[in-house]
Amino acid sequence: MKTRIDDQSKPQTMIQEKYTKRYQNLKVAEALSNNHLYPFACNELSSIIDLGYSQLPKDLKAFIFRDCLSAFRLLPDMNTSAAVSAANLLVKSVESAFPKQKKNLAIVEFKQAKVALKRRTKSHDEHIDLPSLPQDILVHIFSFLDVYSLLSSSQVSRSWNQATSEGSLWRSLFDLHFSHKVSIHIHPGFDWREAFKNEYILYKSSKMLRSGRGYCSYCDSVVWHDNLRCPKKQCRLKSGKKPLDLMLTHQVVNYLLGTTSSSDESDSEDEAVRGLWAYPTLQ
Amino acid sequence: MSEADMAIIKPEMMMKSYIWLETTDGSIQQVEQEIAMYCPMICHEVLQKGLGAGSSKNCAISLPQRVNPAMLSLILDYCRFHQVPGRSNKERKVHDEKFIRMDTKRLCELASAADSLQLKPLVDLSSRALARIIEGKTPEEIREIFHLPDDLTEEEKLEPLKNLMDDPRIRLLNRLYAKKRKELKEREKLKGKEVEERVDERSVDDLLSFINGKDHKVVKTSKSKKKNKKRKEHKNKVSHNLHSKQQGVQIVDETASSLGGVSNLLSMEEDIFSLKTDSEDGYVDDGMDPVLKEMLDREVEDFARRLNSSWVLSSGQERQPVHFSINGNGATRRLTAIDD
Repeated sequence: MKTRIDDQSKPQTMIQEKYTKRYQNLKVAEALSNNHLYPFACNELSSIIDLGYSQLPKDLKAFIFRDCLSAFRLLPDMNTSAAVSAANLLVKSVESAFPKQKKNLAIVEFKQAKVALKRRTKSHDEHIDLPSLPQDILVHIFSFLDVYSLLSSSQVSRSWNQATSEGSLWRSLFDLHFSHKVSIHIHPGFDWREAFKNEYILYKSSKMLRSGRGYCSYCDSVVWHDNLRCPKKQCRLKSGKKPLDLMLTHQVVNYLLGTTSSSDESDSEDEAVRGLWAYPTLQ
Repeated sequence: MSEADMAIIKPEMMMKSYIWLETTDGSIQQVEQEIAMYCPMICHEVLQKGLGAGSSKNCAISLPQRVNPAMLSLILDYCRFHQVPGRSNKERKVHDEKFIRMDTKRLCELASAADSLQLKPLVDLSSRALARIIEGKTPEEIREIFHLPDDLTEEEKLEPLKNLMDDPRIRLLNRLYAKKRKELKEREKLKGKEVEERVDERSVDDLLSFINGKDHKVVKTSKSKKKNKKRKEHKNKVSHNLHSKQQGVQIVDETASSLGGVSNLLSMEEDIFSLKTDSEDGYVDDGMDPVLKEMLDREVEDFARRLNSSWVLSSGQERQPVHFSINGNGATRRLTAIDD
């Protein structure tokens, strides 16, 4: 009799471990301490909670809880509006899914973070005159930016705007995103920014880039992509110019939970529907 | 002195020799030569002007304007560390990461100074650090950090963002007009005439503003400032209105509601786009095969017809319908509106 119980419990713990291992491989916790990845990680946590918190094994629930707490604790360090809105979204998910005790703990943590944030923004009252950066340095700096940061930069000031119109910037972005999909006929006076814009719209890049996630076939794992490439050096060497397969957030959640939930609608109406999302039933 | 003496003396002199550097504020300092020579600009100065340059206070090498004394000492610290050949890559990396931790103002100054001294590795280091600061921030946040003035007009800000949004209607129109423009160009080439590009640009905007449901007069002139302002305003309004998919749907609803043909319109567009995505990977913007072209032509006519009828219904007889000359020879006619 005893052995039979043991046999029954074994597969369960194995399943638990499988999920937990998958979650650890996703490296959400590491991403939270990264300035650039923080909003992506928070959004992913929100999605995981929304789409299946109640079905998670106990161990994994504990991990998720821990990561939510650290997300709130790290919020003051991030200090960008993107981080704040990501954290807000996470709080909403927490409020609707977590059991009472954990929910209260998380919310307390969140409120403390908001207070700390306010204190930080108030101490920025110095009026210093920064030396203006010369154009070619600006262009050099922009060459390290992703497309969204580059677009943000173009709206900052006149001189920055001018620097962002530099063709070489858009050419390398184009190469990075689309060179493996599109062949282009170049002529003198070719507008690389226009070309990029057109392909971007065509390939629905804004949707695909929203998650920050990609699948690397060389290491067979779901990773936080570093400019569309796998962060691991060996994979980058092997893949050459080819970027990762980008993933949508719900695909990542499906991978974690082993589900096959939909769908495109949930992604485009993201924020509005999130709170109302009904948990998909697992078979 | 004999050659042997020279040979002995020279290296000693080199090891102990100093270079005098002068910054724009007038202060002059003495720096070990091998450290200073790590900077290409200084190196070139010395080589160009002969070994006399920088050898004494009187003929100090004057440094570019962007190098103030504080930055100079920072840069020299950097050079002092890196010019030692025996260090491993890891050591250098660790040093660099510590070195680069400073406030944004100093980072900017450092990047400037390093650039004027042509010290590329330091330029890269400071540029990357600045890029990391800029990454993921909104324009307002960036302005705060760098204390930059907000001196762009609204439409200039929206320029690159316009159409970087996923509205299928705009996409469709842009593609159609791009196709038209190309056809036009080819025909004109055959005829040897010049193409008036502005015509096409304007008609896109006009169409967009019609979709927007805006009432406005479109007169067929080409060069008036008023026109340009209006165009920009409408572009503005268009992009504001079309900022999200949901809103885009509403706009189409507005214009085609009387028809009840919204669903038809959408499904027609979906057909086109599924066709497009099915095509092969080497897909280029206007390299469409003739079958697709015909389909598109038919679709354009359809679309135009719908627009016309909706406008006739919704605004009485105030406007003339849109003219799309598809197989015609000449410029695509612009929309003309005549108030009665």
